[in-house]
Amino acid sequence: MRLARFLAALAAAALLHFVGAKAWPAFPRAVDLFLLVAMLEARHGRPLVGMFAGLASGLLADGLSGGPYGLHGFANTAVGYGTARAAQQLVVQRTTGLAALFAAGAAAQQAILAALALIFRDRVELPDPLWLPVQVGAAALLGLAWTSAAAALARRFRFWRKSKTAKLQLPR
Amino acid sequence: MTPLRTRLLLAALLIGQLFLLASQEPDGDGSGSLLEGAALRSLGPLAWTVDQVSGIFASATSGARSRSELLDENRNLRTELLELRRGALRLEGLEQENEGLAKTLGFSRRGQGRLRAAEVVYADHGSWLRSLVLYAGSSGGGARLNQPVLTSDGLVGRVVLVAGAYAKVQLVTDRAASVGVQLGRSRRQAVLRGSAPGELLLDYIPRQAGIEVGEQVLTAGIDGVYPRGIPVGVVAAVEPGDEVFHRVVVRPVVDFSRLDFVYLLEGESVPPELMREGAGPDASR
Repeated sequence: MRLARFLAALAAAALLHFVGAKAWPAFPRAVDLFLLVAMLEARHGRPLVGMFAGLASGLLADGLSGGPYGLHGFANTAVGYGTARAAQQLVVQRTTGLAALFAAGAAAQQAILAALALIFRDRVELPDPLWLPVQVGAAALLGLAWTSAAAALARRFRFWRKSKTAKLQLPR
Repeated sequence: MTPLRTRLLLAALLIGQLFLLASQEPDGDGSGSLLEGAALRSLGPLAWTVDQVSGIFASATSGARSRSELLDENRNLRTELLELRRGALRLEGLEQENEGLAKTLGFSRRGQGRLRAAEVVYADHGSWLRSLVLYAGSSGGGARLNQPVLTSDGLVGRVVLVAGAYAKVQLVTDRAASVGVQLGRSRRQAVLRGSAPGELLLDYIPRQAGIEVGEQVLTAGIDGVYPRGIPVGVVAAVEPGDEVFHRVVVRPVVDFSRLDFVYLLEGESVPPELMREGAGPDASR
């Protein structure tokens, strides 16, 4: 069930990525939806899940991008693991904490990609640093928005289920 | 799983991916990995669907145009068509004259090849890892590895990955891309490679070479991938480089932000057995 949800989230991220790229050519520079999906999965605090979520989302993103295959796979694997470990160690419930988690994940991904670009400089150029604040901000905002919306939906679902079961009253 | 085992698994995954990155050649034959092909196969249909839907919306919104606009456009297109027909007739005459002269001299040259249109379903030319995904279809054999991709303006790049009906294109502006080129006026040959976004650099131009801004850069047909004579760019700046060579900046002729359709060049590439070191087309020089 969880795997199906993750795969559906990846498909939705891919669809939104294509729509965003059509509407605004700079969209892939500003927002990394594949990383967001991996961090949303990793924030539940399970490092193994976070790692493989990052790996899957990164390798999918690499299938679309130019450059050598595996750049985002490497970066997102590390960020997925790091996000899960951070969620284990810290109490990430408040808005500021959540926003900081997503922002730090996006910043860490860009730092890892920049390091890989330095290692493989004959094939990859450095990411544009001017877009770093945009990516970090977008990750924080979108991560917060999704988490809030998912929590609100879960609360409504629980209330609906409670109201359904409350109607079943056995006679005394 | 214990934390130690998780950390070990993480290290194994990261090291494995580093090996995957290191094993890919900078300007290799573009065979791609199975994983990359699978990723493109799964995402390609989604990109095609979004492209089709956005195309429907675009045509619906552009359908409501004024009659006067359409009449003006019609007039301009007729004039352009007439000029193009005159140009085509002239070129046909020149080609016949060229073939006659070639026959007289006993000179044989490679055929030009046919063009087959392919639809661009995804273009990311803005981010730091530029790429293009085409829907080449399965009829007519789809795309093939290292197949040149061009527009009516000039060279776009080459196919580096084929996944069913979809193909990924390495743009000429990619850092890992290189093209054997020839300057239009001086006929000097050089290697063109991608640099900063939207920029190309010419390597191995000696300081004493007379290069002018505005000089056309064409493919030289010496790299075994691109045939001779395809426009690639125009010299935008000639700067002092190191002690021996210039730093020549070239502006591409293709506007990568406006690619809807491209053409795949069909025709015979140089056979692999001729691509051994020292056995290239210019080995006899």
